[in-house]
Amino acid sequence: MNIFGPKELMEDVILAGRCTGCGACVDICPYFGSHMGKTAMLFPCTIARGRCFASCPRAEVDLDLLSEKTFGAPYAEVPVGSHRKIFVSRSGARIGNANYQAGGTVSALLSFVLEKGIIDAAVLVDRQEGLPRPRRITEPQEVLSCASSSFAAVPVISELNRAVRDGYRRIGTVATPCQAVAAALIRINPLNEDEFINPLSFIIGLFCTWALDLRSMTALFSGRGLDLRSVIRCDVPPPPAEKFEIVTGGGKHDIPLQEVRDLTSPACAWCPDMTSEFADVSVGMLEGSAGKNILIIRTPFGEEIAEKAREERYIVLDEIPPEQLRNLERAAAAKKRRALLKLKKEGLLNTAGKGKRACFRLRPEILEKLIG
Amino acid sequence: MSLLLKNKEGDKRLLMGNEAIARGAIEAGLAVATGYPGTPSSEIIENLSRISRQAGIYVEWSVNEKVAAEAAAAASFAGLRSLCVMKQNGVNVASDFLLHLAESGTRGGMVLVPCDDPGALSSVNEGDARFFARMLEVPLLEPGDFQEAKDMTRWAFALSEEIRNFVVLRSVTRLSHASGMVSLGKIPRGRTQAQFRHAGALLDPESGPMISCLPGAPQFTHRRQQDKIRTAREIFETSPFNYYEGPRRPEVLIVASSICSLYSREAIAMLGKAGKKCGLLKMGTTWPLPEKFLQKHLSSAEKIVFVEEVLPFLEENVLMLAGRWTRGKGPKSYYGKNSGTLPSYGEMNPDLIAEALGKVLAVRRRPVRPESFAAKAGAFADNAAPRRELTFCPGCPHRASFWSIHSALKLDGREGFVCGDIGCYTLAAFPTGFNSLRTVHSMGSGAGLAGGFGRLRAFGLRQPILAVCGDSTFFHAAVPALINAVHHQADLTMVILDNRGTAMTGFQPHPGLPVNAMQESAPPVEIENICRGIGVETEIRDPFDLKGTRDALLSFLEKKEGARVLILRQACSLSPEKKKKNSFKVRVDENACRGERCGCNRLCTRIFRCPGLYWDNRKQVARIDDVVCAGCGVCASICPAGAILKEDAV
Amino acid sequence: MKPGLKNPFNLIVTGVGGQGNVLASRILGNMLALGGFQITIGETFGASQRGGSVMSHIRISPGSTWSPQIPKGCADAIVALEPAEGVRVLSDYGHDKVCFISNTRPVYPAGVIAGGAVYPPIEEIRSGVLSLVPDALFIDATEEAIKLGRPILGNIVMIGALAATRLLPLDRKKFRVAADKFAGSDSLDYNLKAFDAGRRLFQTAMSRRSRPAYPVTRRS
Ligand SMILES: Cc1cc2nc3c(=O)[nH]c(=O)nc-3n(C[C@H](O)[C@H](O)[C@H](O)COP(=O)(O)OP(=O)(O)OC[C@H]3O[C@@H](n4cnc5c(N)ncnc54)[C@H](O)[C@@H]3O)c2cc1C
Ligand code: SF4
Ligand code: SF4
Repeated sequence: MNIFGPKELMEDVILAGRCTGCGACVDICPYFGSHMGKTAMLFPCTIARGRCFASCPRAEVDLDLLSEKTFGAPYAEVPVGSHRKIFVSRSGARIGNANYQAGGTVSALLSFVLEKGIIDAAVLVDRQEGLPRPRRITEPQEVLSCASSSFAAVPVISELNRAVRDGYRRIGTVATPCQAVAAALIRINPLNEDEFINPLSFIIGLFCTWALDLRSMTALFSGRGLDLRSVIRCDVPPPPAEKFEIVTGGGKHDIPLQEVRDLTSPACAWCPDMTSEFADVSVGMLEGSAGKNILIIRTPFGEEIAEKAREERYIVLDEIPPEQLRNLERAAAAKKRRALLKLKKEGLLNTAGKGKRACFRLRPEILEKLIG
Repeated sequence: MSLLLKNKEGDKRLLMGNEAIARGAIEAGLAVATGYPGTPSSEIIENLSRISRQAGIYVEWSVNEKVAAEAAAAASFAGLRSLCVMKQNGVNVASDFLLHLAESGTRGGMVLVPCDDPGALSSVNEGDARFFARMLEVPLLEPGDFQEAKDMTRWAFALSEEIRNFVVLRSVTRLSHASGMVSLGKIPRGRTQAQFRHAGALLDPESGPMISCLPGAPQFTHRRQQDKIRTAREIFETSPFNYYEGPRRPEVLIVASSICSLYSREAIAMLGKAGKKCGLLKMGTTWPLPEKFLQKHLSSAEKIVFVEEVLPFLEENVLMLAGRWTRGKGPKSYYGKNSGTLPSYGEMNPDLIAEALGKVLAVRRRPVRPESFAAKAGAFADNAAPRRELTFCPGCPHRASFWSIHSALKLDGREGFVCGDIGCYTLAAFPTGFNSLRTVHSMGSGAGLAGGFGRLRAFGLRQPILAVCGDSTFFHAAVPALINAVHHQADLTMVILDNRGTAMTGFQPHPGLPVNAMQESAPPVEIENICRGIGVETEIRDPFDLKGTRDALLSFLEKKEGARVLILRQACSLSPEKKKKNSFKVRVDENACRGERCGCNRLCTRIFRCPGLYWDNRKQVARIDDVVCAGCGVCASICPAGAILKEDAV
Repeated sequence: MKPGLKNPFNLIVTGVGGQGNVLASRILGNMLALGGFQITIGETFGASQRGGSVMSHIRISPGSTWSPQIPKGCADAIVALEPAEGVRVLSDYGHDKVCFISNTRPVYPAGVIAGGAVYPPIEEIRSGVLSLVPDALFIDATEEAIKLGRPILGNIVMIGALAATRLLPLDRKKFRVAADKFAGSDSLDYNLKAFDAGRRLFQTAMSRRSRPAYPVTRRS
C-alpha cells in the first residue's frame, strides 16, 4: 500500500471534501479531532508516513490487498461484496424488545458477542442531548440503549482508536461502509507496528446509501421546531414513500425525502460501497418488512458467530426471497457504478505517476466490469 | 525608607527616569496621582503608590486614562497638585476630556505625563504624544536626562499654577526605563486643604464653575486659553532647560530634545575632531517654542540638524517659525526627518546620529574596532545566536487558553477567527499563541471589531467570531463594546483572559480585584456580574482545564445568535502568589515518550512550546528544564503518550 | 575612586527575559554609584521580558552623564547570563579585547525548542568566542546557583565573577549594601553566597589558564 502522511491526507481527503468523518485518523494522535461529524486538523504535523493516512478509507485504499488480507482473495466484481451467505434475520427470543431500527439483528449480535466474552468492548452510536456520538460499552445490557439508526456521519472509528489506546484488544464495532473499510484497514495493520497487531475482532457493517451532514441535519430539525433531545428515531420508509419520518416525544413528523437528501454529506458521492463489504457481517433493512433485516455473512469468523447466535436463539435466520436479493444486488451495483464513474472521471482510481495519489486501487479488468 | 522620601537635599542617587519623575512630583508637594498602567510609564504611579501612606498622598490606578485624567483634574479644581500618568496610547483615550480641560483650565498644579515608546519596544505602535500638546494648546516639556526628569517635573507644577492650565511632561522609554544620577531636592512639609470653589462668577478662574467653553462664545475661554500659551512662551524664552553647548559659530547646529540630546552629545564625541564643529541646542520646552531664543541660536549656523523621536515635531515647528525669519537670516540647510537624513520611525541612538552628522559634515568616521572582527563576529552570531522570538512565559495561562481557542476554532471548522487587542496575549498573533489573533488594535478593540463582524450575518458572513481581552482591558475599554454587541444582537463569543491583574505591566490592580493601588482592601467589581448584568450568558473556566475550556468554547460557537462570555480565570505565572510556589513537580518518563514517532511527533516541544520543555536531541526524548519550568502541569495533559508526569510539588 | 578607568567604561549585561538581567544591572549600578561614579543604565523591559533578548547598558564615568545606549563596538565588558545572548552582544558591541564573561547554561529560544532553528552545543560557542576574544571566560553560573537551591541567582554568581576580575571597583561590602536594597532580607544570605561562588569560579577558571588574562591592557 502507498502510505503517506498528514499533509497528503489533508490535501487528498479533508480539504478535497472527501472526508466521511469516520474518525479513523482521530485519537491516534493529537493532531486530528472530530466535531459535529467533521474531522479537522488541529495543529500541523510533519510525519511522512502516518497511521492517519494508512487507515483513512478515502486515501490510497488498495481494494485488492485489503480483500486479500480480509477474505483471502482479491477484490471481485460482486455488487454486494465478498460473502458466504445471505439471510433474512431478526433478533431472537433471548433478546428483549427495544427501539430497533429494523429487526434488531445488530443489537442482538452485539449482545451475544459481549455476553459470551468474544469481545471485551463494543463501539456503537448513542444519542446525547440529541446529537449522535460514538459510545464505547463493555456491558451487554448497554447495547439495547443504543439501538436505532442516526442518519448522520458519526466518527465511530475515533472511539475504536480510543479503546485501542486504553488497552482493549478484543473490540467489536458497528460501522457504516466507509467506517468498515477503516476498521478493516486498522485490522490489517498497514504500517506493521507491533503495538497495533490485530486490535479489532468483530466488525458489524451497516448498509448505507448516504449519511447526513450533522450540522445541516440539526439545522433542519431545529428549523422545523423539533427539539433534538426529544428525537426518538428516524426512518426512511421504502419507496414510493419519498419521505423521512421523525418520531419525537411529541409525535411523528414527515419531511420530504428530497429535502433530506440535499443535506447528504458531500463525501458520500465518492463512496462505491453500499453493503459494508469489508465487515465480518453486514446488516440492512429488508425492504417492505419493518421488523426484519438482511444479514450478509462475509468472513468465517462472522459465520461462526452468526451460527452460534442462532443456536442460542439471539437471532433468527430465514432464507432470503430471490426477489429481495435481486433488489439488493441491483441497488448495490448502482451505487458502486455511480461512484466508480465519478472517481474515474476525477482521476482518483489507479492513478500512476510521481506525486499522483489515488483514492482507491483495484484491478482494471474488475473496474471495467463494475462500471460497464 | 524609599528613596522617594529621603529628605537629604543634594544627595546624589541612582534613579530610574520614572523614579525621578515621581520624586520631582513629591518635591513639588504632590497630593493626588492617577494613571493607567502601560509600559514604559507604570513605575511612576507604582513608586508613588508604595509611599502613599507615608507621603500622605492619594494614588489611584484608574479604570482607564480618561477617568485618570478626570480624577487628577478634580484634585486640581480643589486646589491640590495632581499628576496623571499614562503611556502614549493613553493620551488618545484621555484626549476627549483633555481638550475640554485645556479650555476650562486648572487650579492646583496639574501635570500630565505621557511616556512614549519610540521603537515600539513594548507597544503595538510608536505614537508621538507631543502632537497632543499642540492640538490641546498646552505647554510641553521634554526632560533631556534624569536630573531634568526630576527638576522639570517639580517645575511643571509651578508652571501649571502660573498659567492656570495643565502641563504635559513627555518622557520616552530610554528615559523612563533608564537610570542615572539625580541630585535630590527638598521635600516640602504641610498639606493643602482641598476645596472646590464654584459659587463665583461664571468666568472667574479662582472661584467660578469650571466649564470648558461657553457654547458659541469661544472668545471667552478659548481666547483665555491662548493667552496662557503666550505666557508660557514668554517664560520658556529664559528657561534653563533650553541651552546651547559648543563652539560660538558651529558649522552644524543640532537641535535636539528629550533623550536625543544625550545621544547627540555622544555622537558629537564619537566624531572626534569633526565633532568640534558641531554645536548642540538642547531643547527642554518644545511647545510653544521660545521664538527669540531659537532665532538667536539658529542664526549662528548654516546647517541645522534636528534630532528627535519619533516624528518631526520639533523640526516642523521650528521650520514654521523659520519661514517667518528667512528675510533676515537668509536661507539655511535643514536636515532631519523631512530630508531623509534620519528616519521618522524607530528609536534614535548615538550611532545613527553620528552617521547622519558625518554625512552632513562630509566626513568619515574612523571604525571603532577592526573590520575583520565585526565580520567574523557577525558571521559567528548568525550561526550561534538563533533568533529569539517572544513567547508566553513558562506556566502562562494564555498558552493554555489559546491552545484551547485554537483547537476549538479548528474543530469547529468554519474558519472562525479571533479579534484581539493589547496585553501579553497580543503575542497570540504569533506561534507562541498558535497564531490565533487575527486582528490587533487598541485596548478593547477586539471586542468592538468582533461586535462589528457579528452583525454581518445579513451580508452572508458565516464564520464564528471570537474576541479576547484581558481582565484589566475588560474594565478599561471592552465593557461598552460588549454592551453594544448585546444591544445590537451581534453574534460573538467573548473570551476574557482573567489572569488576576494587569500582568503585562507588572501586576497593577484593577477594579476586579480586592485591593487598590495603595494596597488597601477595596470592593472588587466582578467581571461575571457585569456580564450577567447586561444580559450575557457567562461561563467561568480554568484555562488549565484544557478539555473543559475547549468544550465550553465549542458549545458557545455552536449557538447561533447573540453574545456570550467565557471567563478563563487563572493567575499569571509571574504573579506574586504563583512565583512563591510551583504547583507541580513535572518530569518526562523517557521510556514512555513517543518523541518524533507517529502518534506524537513532538507535540510538546514542537507545537505547545512552553519554554520549560526542551528536546534532547541525543536521546530523542522531550525533557523538562527544571530551572525554567513553572510547574503548572499543563503539558502533562497534552502529552498523547502520558509521558509527562506531574506530582504535587512539595 | 579607581584612577585610570576609561571614561566612560561601558558594561553590558545581557540575557533572556526572566533571568534577572534588570536586577543584576541595578545592583551593579548601585555598587558603582556607591563608589562615587556617575552611572547611566539603559535597558528595555516589558515585552522583551517575555522570552526575548534583554540587555542593559551600564555607562560608568567619573563625572558625566552618558547616553543610555552604548555605541556599536564600544563595550568594555560583557556579562552574559545566557551564552547565545553573549554572542549576539559580542557581535554588535564587542571587539577582541573586550572582557567577556558568560554563563554556560543555555535558555533555548522557542524556535529551537520547536525545531527548525539550531542552538549549537556550548563547546562550539565557547571555542567560537575564544577565537574572537582569547581572554573570554565561561563559568557554570546557573549550575552553581542550582547547588545553592536558587537557580535564579545565576545572575548574582555572574556579578561575583565580574567583581573578581577587578576591572571595576566591585567589592563584597558594596555588594552587600546594594543587594540588601533589592533582595528581600531573607535572601541576602543566598545572594552573598552566590556572589562568593562567582568569585571562586572566576579564580578557579583563572588558575587553569596558562597565562593570566586579567588585568588586560585596555585600549585607550
Ligand atoms: C447513516 C446510515 C444509513 C443507512 N442507510 C441504509 C440504507 O440505505 N439501506 C439499508 O438497508 N439500511 C441502511 N442503514 C442501516 C439501517 O438503518 C439499520 O441500521 C440496519 O438495518 C440495522 O438494523 P437493526 O434493527 O439491526 O439495528 P439496531 O439493532 O437498532 O442497531 C443499530 C445499530 O447501529 C448503530 N448506529 C446508529 N447510528 C449509526 C451511525 N450513524 N453510524 C454507525 N452506527 C450507527 C447503533 O449504535 C446500533 O448499535 C443505514 C444506517 C445508517 C446509520
Ligand atoms: S508530547 Fe509526550 S510523547 Fe510527545 S514528545 Fe512530548 S513528552 Fe514525548
Ligand atoms: S509544567 Fe509544563 S507547561 Fe507548565 S511550565 Fe512546566 S514545562 Fe511548561
